[in-house]
Amino acid sequence: MPANKILIVDDEQVIVRLLSMSLKSDGYETFSAFSGEEALDVFKEHAPDIVVTDIKMPGMDGLELLKKIKELDPEKEVIIVTGHGDIDSTITALQFGASDFINKPVRDEALAIALDRAKTKISIREQLASYTHDLEEKVAEATREIRRKSNFQRLLIHSSHDAIVAFDQDWQIVVYNPEAAKIFEKKPGDVLGKMTIDELYTPELAQYFRKEAENKANDRDMPWQEMTLETRSKKKIPVRYATNVLHEKKEFMGIVNFFQDLTEIKRLEKELIQSERMAAVGQTVSGLAHYVKNILIGLKGGSYVVDVGLQNNNMEKLTTGWLTIKKNIKRVADLTQDMLTYSKERKPEAELCFPNEIVDEVVDLVTDFAASHNIHITKICDPELGEMVLDPRTIHRALLNLVNNAIEACLELEEENKKFVVEISTKKGDDGSAVFAVKDNGIGMDEETRTKLFTPMFSSKGGKGTGLGLLVTKKLVEEHGGTIDIDTSLGYGSVFTMRLPEQPGDSRNGNNKG
Amino acid sequence: MSKKVLVVDDDPDVRSFVVTVLEENRYTPLVACDGVEGLEMIQKEKPDLVILDVLMPRGSGIRLYRQLKTDDALKAVPVIMFTGIALRSFLKSQKALEEFKGEKVPEPDIYLEKPVEPQELVDAIKKKI
Ligand SMILES: Nc1ncnc2c1ncn2[C@@H]1O[C@H](COP(=O)(O)OP(=O)(O)O)[C@@H](O)[C@H]1O
Ligand SMILES: [Mg+2]
Repeated sequence: MPANKILIVDDEQVIVRLLSMSLKSDGYETFSAFSGEEALDVFKEHAPDIVVTDIKMPGMDGLELLKKIKELDPEKEVIIVTGHGDIDSTITALQFGASDFINKPVRDEALAIALDRAKTKISIREQLASYTHDLEEKVAEATREIRRKSNFQRLLIHSSHDAIVAFDQDWQIVVYNPEAAKIFEKKPGDVLGKMTIDELYTPELAQYFRKEAENKANDRDMPWQEMTLETRSKKKIPVRYATNVLHEKKEFMGIVNFFQDLTEIKRLEKELIQSERMAAVGQTVSGLAHYVKNILIGLKGGSYVVDVGLQNNNMEKLTTGWLTIKKNIKRVADLTQDMLTYSKERKPEAELCFPNEIVDEVVDLVTDFAASHNIHITKICDPELGEMVLDPRTIHRALLNLVNNAIEACLELEEENKKFVVEISTKKGDDGSAVFAVKDNGIGMDEETRTKLFTPMFSSKGGKGTGLGLLVTKKLVEEHGGTIDIDTSLGYGSVFTMRLPEQPGDSRNGNNKG
Repeated sequence: MSKKVLVVDDDPDVRSFVVTVLEENRYTPLVACDGVEGLEMIQKEKPDLVILDVLMPRGSGIRLYRQLKTDDALKAVPVIMFTGIALRSFLKSQKALEEFKGEKVPEPDIYLEKPVEPQELVDAIKKKI
């Protein structure tokens, strides 16, 4: 706000009026007083920015007025009008804080200059004041901010879901939040600044963190790790923890431990696994029910045909019916065996055998069936793959499962004139293992089937598949220390590659039966 | 002359069972192993009734059924759906197909869920022919 209000004081009313008129025309707001006493009243009422006063007045003179005004408000500018050569009064006025002097008779220019100077002074003072005020504000704000931050930090530590314990360079505890109190079961009041690491932690744990502090030259924190924390009250708690070793200018400053209580998470994990298992059981049961129903259909149908054969003495019916029954009994037997294999652990029984011969056996088993559906079975056996110590039963069952799937994959692809081929090949792997590949140009798999292959009871074949074949195959192969790889393309076919490492340690005197 | 009944099923066990039931009840059995063969057989032999499996390779039973019901010359042939699939799932896939193809076919005359007693099958056939 520009200084704009001026009080003019003189006992000579003419002078006051003249000055007042001239200042008004310059845009000032003016007030007049004809004595010191009156001036003081006007001053109190209107708080002018600048007072222009004659020095010589009856009653309260200019000097007295100056003194009173400065007492009321030292910021106000007072310009003194003196008679020519009145040095003494001038000096006194200066001592009282007058801001300027003009000589009588007052000339407009001189007054204008004095007023300008006063105004500049006021505005500088105002700027200074606002600047100081700003500065104070800023300092206050910064102080608040710092307080807020440290409060925030305290709150953060206090309300953290992690237990936080920090030690200073003498291993005194300086931070210990409520979560930490929950784990260590000691009140913060009894711990903070009163205990050292050795009184809070077990000796082993204290030792462990002391070592950490020694070993760690920099402040890089270590990744989260898991452990079972033992407290001094012998409670065992599964936790995830992280440690920060603090340094300042290479000087050890302390250490911060963060602990997350995993008890609840572990419990949830267990629950989840349990419920997943239950879901798998549900899926298993319904998949199985379907398959068993199909076997039942076969058995019922077969026994009816046998009944008719017996009644009519019809040998042909008897044979057909009996074959149906036998086939379905075999399906039950296979299913049972698959389930047992899947549910029981089994050590491979390795013996000397010729992998290529096992391929021959499997091919013999499926060729007729495949041929009756226009599927050609070929084998490419690597002569390098000689006698090896492997479990022939693992190879036999795994291969048979893979080949059956390959044949079924061809049956599923409904392409009239396609020449379906299932190719079984062997070779000696670089690491000496036996490698078997079963390749078909059947239906192949989409991404979903591909990912579900090994889930128990997953079958895309409705009641005609158990969804156990690959599961059992994988289990047998893994028990043998081997692997299965799959390469597939929907509509074009698949390759299943099985690698079996030679079994070490087994006697090489087993007979070669397959 | 005995009536001709065609059984279309890819499972030889089911075929021999149905054939035996048919023979025992003085029908003339005809067999087909998949949908394509089934359609050929129907066109050639004009059976009086078709017993149709749903899940088969080479043109499923669903496809064959739709072919029959949308062919003016064949739509009158009664069809018994004979399958291990629950009727509910069958109707669901029918509905999906209808929406997809925009044509509606009548529900099968009779829907039998395997396994069935021979007498049930005979009763079902007798209802139609
Ligand atoms: N060679 C293959 N080509 C295409 N799909 C296959 C092949 N092998 C396995 N699958 C898929 O994996 C599923 C699971 O196979 P498997 O465990 O042997 O059970 P099942 O043969 O009884 O269905 C099959 O239903 C099929 O969808
Ligand atoms: Mg299989």
